[in-house]
Parts: sequence; C-alpha cells; structure tokens
Amino acid sequence: MKMKTVKRKRWEDIPLARKVLIAVGIITLLLFLIDSLLYFQVNRIIEKMDTVYSSNVNMTEISEALDEVQDDLYSYLSVKSSESLEDYYRSEQAYRNLLGRLNYKITSNPAKLLERKIRKMSNTYLKVTEEAVTAKRGRNVEKYKNLYEETQNLYGYINSYIEELNSQQFRNNSSSYQTLREALTYLEISSLVIMIVMMGISIAILYLFTKEMIVPLTNLAETANLVGQGNFSVKMPETDSLDEVGIVTRAFNTMVESLEEYIIRTKESMEKEQQMMERELLMENHLKEAQLRFLQSQINPHFLFNSLNAGAQLAMMEDAEKTCVFVEKMADFFRYNVKKGMGDASLAEEVEAVENYIYILNVRFAGDIHFTKEIDQGIMECRVPSMILQPIVENAVNHGIRNIEREGKIHLEIREEEEKIVICVRDNGKGMSRERIEEVLSGHAGNGEEQSDSTGIGMNNVISRLELFYDRKGLMQIYSGGLDQGTEVVLTIPKITGGEEACTE
Amino acid sequence: MNRKSRRNTVKKEIWLIFLGVFFVVFFLIFMNNFFKSVWERSGIEEAEETQTYDYQYAMIVDSGNEELWQAVYGSAKEQAEKYRVNVELMVSSKADGYDENDYMEISIASGVDGIILEYNGEEDLKDEINKAVEQKIPVVTVMNDAQDSKRQSFVGVNDYQLGQAYGQQVVKLMDENTRNILILLNSEEGDLEKNQIYSLISSAVKNTPGGKEIQVTARNMTTGSKFDIEEAMRQIFQDPQGPPQILVCMDETTTECAYQTMIDFNMVGDVKIIGYYLSDAIREAVQKGLIPVTFSLDAVQMGKDTVEALWEYKQEGRVNSYYNVDLNFITEDTALSSDSEGRYENENS
Repeated sequence: MKMKTVKRKRWEDIPLARKVLIAVGIITLLLFLIDSLLYFQVNRIIEKMDTVYSSNVNMTEISEALDEVQDDLYSYLSVKSSESLEDYYRSEQAYRNLLGRLNYKITSNPAKLLERKIRKMSNTYLKVTEEAVTAKRGRNVEKYKNLYEETQNLYGYINSYIEELNSQQFRNNSSSYQTLREALTYLEISSLVIMIVMMGISIAILYLFTKEMIVPLTNLAETANLVGQGNFSVKMPETDSLDEVGIVTRAFNTMVESLEEYIIRTKESMEKEQQMMERELLMENHLKEAQLRFLQSQINPHFLFNSLNAGAQLAMMEDAEKTCVFVEKMADFFRYNVKKGMGDASLAEEVEAVENYIYILNVRFAGDIHFTKEIDQGIMECRVPSMILQPIVENAVNHGIRNIEREGKIHLEIREEEEKIVICVRDNGKGMSRERIEEVLSGHAGNGEEQSDSTGIGMNNVISRLELFYDRKGLMQIYSGGLDQGTEVVLTIPKITGGEEACTE
Repeated sequence: MNRKSRRNTVKKEIWLIFLGVFFVVFFLIFMNNFFKSVWERSGIEEAEETQTYDYQYAMIVDSGNEELWQAVYGSAKEQAEKYRVNVELMVSSKADGYDENDYMEISIASGVDGIILEYNGEEDLKDEINKAVEQKIPVVTVMNDAQDSKRQSFVGVNDYQLGQAYGQQVVKLMDENTRNILILLNSEEGDLEKNQIYSLISSAVKNTPGGKEIQVTARNMTTGSKFDIEEAMRQIFQDPQGPPQILVCMDETTTECAYQTMIDFNMVGDVKIIGYYLSDAIREAVQKGLIPVTFSLDAVQMGKDTVEALWEYKQEGRVNSYYNVDLNFITEDTALSSDSEGRYENENS
C-alpha cells in the first residue's frame, strides 16, 4: 500500500492488475472482518441462549436427588434393610456429586449466595443423616428419632431455598433470554446497517479505483483522436507513474512528438525538392530558349544576300520567267526560314524548303545537283522541328558532293517505320571517316571554318534542337562507307501528328 | 487526469479505506460494549463481575421496623465490606414464613461466620443462640438483649436507658386530661409487669404530681403480622372506656398503625402518640405535628457496631458485651433537619 511504502514504491507505480487486486482485496477484507465479527457475536448469543435454562435443570436435579436421600433415609430408618441402606448411600453419593457443582464462594450475587447456602446446609444435612443412620445402627432410638426430625427440618429449609433459587434463576433466565432475544434483534439491525454502510464504502472505493484507471485511458483515446485529426500540439499531461497507464501515456507522448517531428521534416524536404525542381525546370526552359534563339540567330545573312544577288543578275540578264521563278523560290525559302525560325513545321513544309533550297542551288550552280526523293505521302502532315532537313541537305551538298568530278546526287527518303518517322538523306559524295562521324554526332565538329556559303545552321544545331524537342538522344545516325563512298544521314524521330499543341513552345 | 487530481483520488481512496477500517473498529467497539451490557443485563456474566468475600454474616431481624433495619443493614454491610465480609439480611415472618428460630437454624446449618440477631424475648431463641455459640458461631444481639444467653455482645440501647427516656417524654406530654397511658411493647416475655421499660415509664409517671391517679398499662404487640396489630389498634381505640390519652409505641409498624387508626377515628389531639423510629410515614406525621414526638436510634452506628463486635470477637476472641447506641428524640422542630436514615445533626439525648 502506498502509505506503507511511500519511499520505495508509490501507488502510481503499481501495475493495474495488482491495483485491482489490492482494491478488491481491501474490500473483501473489510467485509470479511465485519462478517466474522457478526458470526462471532451471533455464535456467542446462541451459545449463551443454550446455557440460559441449564441452571434451572441443575436445580431440579438437585431437588430430586435431595428427595431421594430423604426418602431412602426414611425407608432405612423404618425398615433397616441392607438394601435400603445401599440405596441411601447411593443417593447420598449422587447428591454429594450434584452439590459439588454449586458455588462455594461468598459473593454479592444473591443467586450464588443461595447456592452456597444450599450447599453448606446440605452438607450439614448429610452429616445429620449420617448420624441418624449411625444411631439407627446403634439402636439408639431416641437419638435417631430426634436426628430424623432435625433432618426433616433441614430438608424443608433446603427445599425451600432450592425452590427460591430455582424461581430466582428462572426469573433471571427469563429476563436473560428476553435480553438475548432483543440483543439478537439489535444485532440484526446493526449488522444490516453496517453491511449497507460497508457496501457503500466498497462501491465508492471500487468506483474511485476504476475511475483512476479508466479516466487516463479515455483521455488518451480522446487525445489520440485529436492527433488522428492532425492536431499534433495536444499532449497527455506528464506523468511519472510506472503503471501501465503511465507507460502508455509516456509512449503516446513520445509517439506524438516524433510523429510531429517526422512530419515537419518530411514537409521541409518536400518543399526543398519542389523548389529545386522548379528551379531546374526554369533553368532548362531558359537554356532551351536561349539555345533556340542562339541557334536560330546563327543563320547567315550572307546567303540571303548572295542569293538575292544571283536573282538580280538573272533578272538583269534575261528579264525572263525563270528569274521570276527563282526569285519566287528564294522568297519562299526565305519566308519559310524566317517564319519557322522558332517553331515546328509539317514534314511537307520541310520537304518544300529542301526542294526550294535545291532549286536555288541548282540555279546557282547550273544544275549540278541531282536531287531525288521518295516520300510516304501519308505522314507528310506530321510535325517536326523546323529547319532540320535543309541543314542536313546543305551539309550533304557542301561536304559531300561539292567539288567532286562525277555528278552529285542527293536522295531524300521519308518513310514510316513502327510508329516512327525515318528520314534518310543520302549523297554520293566524298563520304566521311569514322572519326569525323563521331565528332559530328557528339557535337564537337563545330563549324570551325565559317562557311560563307551556308544558311548558318550546322549539324550541331540540328542535333541539339532535335534532342531538346524530343527530349532524347541518338535520333540521328550517320553512315558512310569511307572516302568517296557517299554519306547517309538517318533521322529516326517519334511520329507526332496533329496541330500546334505538340510543339515544344 | 493530471497528477494532482490523481493524487486527490488516491487520497480519497485512502480516506475511504480508513473510513471502512474506522467503521469496522467502531462496529467492534460498539458490539463489544453492547454485548457487555447485554451480558450484564442478562446476568450471565454476573458471576465474573460480583465481589467475593471471605466471611458470611447473617442478620436476623423482626419485620416490625423495616426501615430502621434497612438502614442498620445498609450500614452494617458497608462496614463489613471493609473486612471482606458479606452480610445477609433475614427478616422473619416474611415471604417464606420463617421466624427467627428458623433463621437461626438455617444460619447454623449453613455455617455462617457470625449472626446478628434482634432478640424477640422468646426463650426458644435463647436456645438457638446457645446452639450457635456452641458451634463456634458468634452471636451479637441487637436492639433487644437476650441477657441470659451465651451471646457475645449486645448492640443497642439498654432497657433502662430506653425506659428512662420514654418516661421523660411521657411526663412531658402529660396534662390535666391524661388518665390512661398505654405502652405497646414488642416483647415475647410473658410477664409484662417485669418489663423494665414498662416499670420505668410507670414509675416516672407515678413520681410526677398527680401521677398516681393516672393508669399506666402495657400490652404486647408481637403476636403475628401487621394485620393483627391493626386489629389490636382498632380495639384500643374502640375501647368502651375510650382510648388512652398517651400511646407509647415500641416499634415502627405499631407507630404507623396507631397513627393511621388515630386519623381514621378522628382523634388527633385526643391521643398523643410517642413514636418509634422515623420511617417516611412517621416523619411526615411528626412534621405535621400529628405525632408529637418519636425517637430514633442511630441506625448507622448500630449497623457499624454489630459488624465491629463480630469482627473484634473473631480477631481477639473476646469482645465488649455491650455497645451503647445513641438515642434521639425527634419533635416537629427537629424532624425537618433530620435525614431519612435516622442520622441527626443535633440534639442527642
């Protein structure tokens, strides 16, 4: 219990099961105490009741024994048979035995005093009867007659005292019995009252015990509910008790604390990640934009001037239809170049741009370039980044078939292959070494010597833009059999159909 | 629940447990006391409670002076307690119908350690006294002495003293109307002329001037019960020659009877009663002036002396043969200052 072991073990530190056991134990002990007390008293009363009238029985016995002594004495004195003498001695002995039970002390209790009187008088009486018997034996007639008279007197006295004692005892016993009956009734009432009181106390104790155990648990449940709703600021009050409730409470508090901490940390890291991603995206966008602008601004205006010069010369010399067509093609090409500088275009537009370019070149170089095409008309509306075909063709012209002795040929093939668009530009020019191909594909080729006769968009630009547009690498393949074996550039791009929404801008 | 309220709950629990324990203890104590009183009332435990004594004395008295003897007995008992002696009062011709002789027999047979006896004048009783003394039971007579017996001592007023005192009172009450004086004796002696009290009163009357013509007679009132006395009293008052002018009573019952009869016959003032002892009824009469004078013994001293005498005899083997007891006369004036046990602050004669 708490009060006993304050220093060593407090009430709060006792496990719940033991607490319940202690509570129930205390109550049981209390009830047991009361109960055993009641039983003890009831037993005592019943015991007393048993003895109440026994004293009366005793007195009746004594009276009967006395009668017998007197009768036997008389019959001996009158008959003097040995049989009657024997009877006398037997009854005398029996009477003496009974007398032994009577009180011998002088007390202030009248009943006890009467007992003593009866005893002492009986002793005297027995002495006289003895004398009478002796006198009878000695045939002393006068003496035994006198003695017998004396015994009769004494017999009368004793009997009247026995009667008095008997009636006194009966009076006492009756009142005793009455008192005991009353006591029993009182006992019933008082035991009922005390039982009710004890029951009340027991219920109160049990109630408090269970309340003490249950209330923290209900509090815990409520708090847990709050936490479940996302409120991490609530907490159970601090406790240092070592019982199960205390342990659970502390564990709960620790859990809530760490939960809160964890959630804060997660939130922080997520925010950080988000920010980083946003920044990355922004940076990428900016980069792409910059690259695009930069790449598009690389288109060389010299070409435009040269072409326009050629057109002007043609117009000056002939003032004819061809010039008109030429200038027209030039204008188309130029327009396309400017218009599509920053977006995507359909494959058809791209092919037209290539055709215009070839036409312009053929005008410029008097039909040196033999251009053929093999096109799957079904995919002509597919969207691709603008200005990618023309640079590849330009590259084939400038680095492939220019300055070769034989007739230069360029073949353009566009086909659909497994939901992808394959674009091949094949020439029969100088071809490329393996190293050169790798340099071009890795973007290190550079346009080292600035080609004055170029549209300004090199392979680098094309590769970069393709990668940005489709967000993947390896879209361009270059195959070459070696020196003078020609070159084939193959673009394998995803098929994107439909309108402008597919465009990266 | 916070720690404070939890502590409060624990405190409440402890209080409740204490309350429970308190109830158990209370119940225990209550039960114990209750049953103790029950046992006491039922008398079952009495034997353990009562006092025990070493010796037993018997006090055998006549029923004539009940209140006086109760007072004497009370005092004797009180004194006897000091010596661890129990005194039993045996009043003759009461309930069981035993007289003094029977009680003497009974006391002897039950082997008491001493007998206090109011001697009634019977010769047989002297034999009983002698029988008791022969059986080593000391006997002290009280009030009336058995002069020729073997009794160890006598406590009381001797007849001479008593006769003288009564004589004085009678003479005081005599006037010109006095012609008859009746003395109601309570002696079993046959010859009243030989009675010392009677002769002393008689001579006192005769010795006063004009006293020779006054008739002084005596009558014995000890025969039988209270009803006999009452009948005898009516006869006295209905005497053809008229009742006596002065009536001298020698015991309580006679006094009360005489007083009652006097009122019944409307003879207050005609008959002057000289009373004996001071029972409540007699006291009242004295206070009203209806009984001019009554006399009383110091009952307390008497009781004490009887026990003292027996005890002294037991210790010393011998004892004074006579213990004198003070006599008091009580008139209307002094009755008010006396208490019920017959003790008087003033006026010892």
